[in-house]
Amino acid sequence: MTTAVFGLLALVSVLLSIQAAYTLYMTIYTWDEPEAERLARAPDRMAPPRLTFTVMLPARHEEEVIQQTIRQVVRANYPPELLQVLVICSADDEGTVEEALHRIGLFQDEGLDIVDVVLFDDKPINKPHGLNHALRFARGDVVTIFDAEDDMHPDVFNIVNTVMVNEGVRVVQAGVQLMDYQSSWYSALNVLEYFFWFKSRLHYHAKYGSIPLGGNTVFFDRELLLDLGGWDEDNLTEDADIGLRISMMGEKVRVIYDDRYVTREETPPTLQHFIKQRTRWSQGFMQTLQKGTWKQMPTRAQRWLAFYTLAFPNVQALLGLYVPASLIMTFTVKAPVPLALVSYLPVLLLAAHFMINVVGLYEFADAHGLPASPVMIFKMAVAWFPYQWVLAYAALRAFNRQVRGVSNWEKTAHVGMHRNAQGEALVGAT
Amino acid sequence: MLRSLRETPVRTDNRLLVATLVTGLVSYGYGLFRYPLYLTDEGVYMQRAWAVLREGRLSPYTYIYDHAPGGWVSIAGWSAVLPNQFEAFGNAINTGRVLMLLMHLVSVYLLYDIAKQFSGGNTAAVIATTLFNLSPLGIFYQRQVLLDNIMVPWLLLSVFLILRSDRRVTSALAGGLCFGMAVVTKENAVFFAPALAYLLYEKSRNHRSKRFAKGFWYFAGGIPIAFYLMYATLKDELLPPGLHFDSSNTQSIRVSLTNTIWWQLNRTSGSPVSGTGNGAFWQMMHDFWLWKDRFLFYAGAIATVVLLVQGLRNRRRNHVQLVAALLAISYALYMIRGSVLLEFYIIPLVPLLALNIGLVAASALARLPDAGKAGVLALAIVVLASPTGGYLLVHGDTGRLQLHDMYRLNLTSMQRAQMDWVEKNIPADARMIIDDDMWVTLHDATPAYRFAHSHYQASGDPAVGGKVFHKSWRYIDYIVMSNKMRRAMRVNNAGGQENWILDALDNHSRRIWDLKRGRVELAVYRVG
Repeated sequence: MTTAVFGLLALVSVLLSIQAAYTLYMTIYTWDEPEAERLARAPDRMAPPRLTFTVMLPARHEEEVIQQTIRQVVRANYPPELLQVLVICSADDEGTVEEALHRIGLFQDEGLDIVDVVLFDDKPINKPHGLNHALRFARGDVVTIFDAEDDMHPDVFNIVNTVMVNEGVRVVQAGVQLMDYQSSWYSALNVLEYFFWFKSRLHYHAKYGSIPLGGNTVFFDRELLLDLGGWDEDNLTEDADIGLRISMMGEKVRVIYDDRYVTREETPPTLQHFIKQRTRWSQGFMQTLQKGTWKQMPTRAQRWLAFYTLAFPNVQALLGLYVPASLIMTFTVKAPVPLALVSYLPVLLLAAHFMINVVGLYEFADAHGLPASPVMIFKMAVAWFPYQWVLAYAALRAFNRQVRGVSNWEKTAHVGMHRNAQGEALVGAT
Repeated sequence: MLRSLRETPVRTDNRLLVATLVTGLVSYGYGLFRYPLYLTDEGVYMQRAWAVLREGRLSPYTYIYDHAPGGWVSIAGWSAVLPNQFEAFGNAINTGRVLMLLMHLVSVYLLYDIAKQFSGGNTAAVIATTLFNLSPLGIFYQRQVLLDNIMVPWLLLSVFLILRSDRRVTSALAGGLCFGMAVVTKENAVFFAPALAYLLYEKSRNHRSKRFAKGFWYFAGGIPIAFYLMYATLKDELLPPGLHFDSSNTQSIRVSLTNTIWWQLNRTSGSPVSGTGNGAFWQMMHDFWLWKDRFLFYAGAIATVVLLVQGLRNRRRNHVQLVAALLAISYALYMIRGSVLLEFYIIPLVPLLALNIGLVAASALARLPDAGKAGVLALAIVVLASPTGGYLLVHGDTGRLQLHDMYRLNLTSMQRAQMDWVEKNIPADARMIIDDDMWVTLHDATPAYRFAHSHYQASGDPAVGGKVFHKSWRYIDYIVMSNKMRRAMRVNNAGGQENWILDALDNHSRRIWDLKRGRVELAVYRVG
């Protein structure tokens, strides 16, 4: 019995270490691969505007921020005649609709008639359903999505136009970055997750043709979207799902993360919202895993990467159980020294993960002209384990919901922490 | 002036690289099992590798953290994959020496690349590796199974990888890991840390991933060291009981890693071939090192000073010169000011001095055409090979021209004859005092000589001296004397701990076998 327990402990330690090392590598991939770094940068010279864009702004109870968002899109550095903006609301969301119509009226007074509100009154009331509904009204060559709270960069259309025209790609994921890294105990770690995900990991996924796309600042050729049949309305992470479906078709996806041109977002305002958001993401990945589209990918490398990514919330849930179990074992089981040393391997990789975050904080701060200090590192260290536990809790919660068949959309609130009273980007110029 | 690393690297001349590897294979391999004599320390490391493989422990006796275990764990790994394991090449030390030969060839390859990268050409690489291959000082010590010989390739591999850290973050990580491995193979490697850190700093200074490169290098370098500390912690042997540090390191209650480090920092010489402090360095230079290879020391010292001056005059532009000089100087300073010194501690300096000579010589020859360079190098090799240089040919006692001892003498045949005699004539259950060089041969035999212990263990380890021999000549059956073992026993007898063995030898034994040739004298005594 003891031998079996020890054997299991060694096996779990080694497997955990391998997966942690793999994740760590993807986390720093762009810094390691000069070619990935080159691809991540925005083009130095922009092509003349040629493509037309349909910008979808799905919004629910976003009356506080929607006007500002519409204004940013319309005022982007791109010819307005090449833009179409669709504000997507459910019919019962009168507040948001009213604010959007007010802003549209102001633009019409200027002679700009490029924004429309698209209403839907059927179920389900969720983002993918709204997007599918609005897709019927889209006229642009390229369809893109921004969330209502996004601070998009005014040059983003020029960048995507250049990449799509010059390289002939039909899908581009541009960078999204949480910015309010000092707003709560968990915000720095949350910000860094985005930083590494968009700046590094997605490039790895793109290279191997197996990419779960993000929910906004993502650009699709409209014909491609129509061929795909739009988004999966029953999926809580319809963005990841559509990315894998595109990968399955063998369609190349370009990822661009240039610190200067990222779309800025905010971290969830409260822990409760953060947990709900994470639960939704984890459950969405579980749904996508269960759905099994990834199994139809052409190569084993693609399938493995998709499986690994989608199964990660399950691993995280298991880790949530493993950590207390291993703590109990530390105090109750006297393991042989070599085995004990092997069991410390995952701890070592956890330390490596923290070290990467420390470096990442300085990289992030440097890229955006923000301060970073040892005090922040200390705060991050204190928050580290609670943050991991919150992630594990959200994964367990997602697992529980999935098992019970609960799959309603728990929306994240946005309060515009990354914008100031004037509606400008709070953490502004780089 | 050397070319900067920032310039386009030149291609490795594969023919030259292969030629240097073959030279190393021949100079180190020819006579590997015959010269020099099997050393006590070689026996100790093979004994510990045996314990790792056969007993799953770091030592067959109490492990006192005198050295980190990376070296003999590597030897155990090497032995594990061989048919007949420790006896694959005749006996355990031979088996270990083959690994040392492989380590040397790895080091030659790495040194070639490092010299080429530092200088931007193949000339420095050829000069450095040729010296490294042919130096009698290098061959003498680097044929022996010593931790330093396993540490050197880790160190060079770390430099090799740091030189690539401006391209890949993972190179910096691997470079750090290799440096950590060097430290847990032989702790002296830690004195190279400042020079390596400086090289990394210069290499990554203008690079976009410099924070990750540096972060990973330090982090990865700490991993093997962390595991070593963790091992001691798990064994409850990290700190001494009650935090009482005992500078005599008798460690009678319980061994501890930190107490051993404390002792190492404060100890005085306890070995016949060791010393402490400044005086010991110069003494060893005179007694052991200089007569083996004057050229390496004189030319190496001059080259190091030249590189240091060049580096200090323009640190940005000439940082490789500065790093090359600092690598040699930092280690030399450790040896000059270190707490304890053994003669083979010189080993890491051999490739570094060869590197510096190569860099400066290549710089001096830079303006010559290739044919001119080849001519000068050929002439240098002829001079070094002649009795003037003493690398290959020497004048014997009678003045006759002969090959250098290391290619000619078969010293270990005497030791092998002694081992054979012991195995044929002494029963396996005999209680024997031996030297460590034959320990594995006796303990890995069938049946094993379970009561054969070295005089160091018999006099120092209560579990051996007390329980096996009861510290009395009456419980010793045989004493197998290796060369100079009596002198070692006298030096190791500051507290009188060897008295009972010396008593057995002088007053209660008779010589039953002996063999004497030149200054080498071996014997076996029957006690009682």
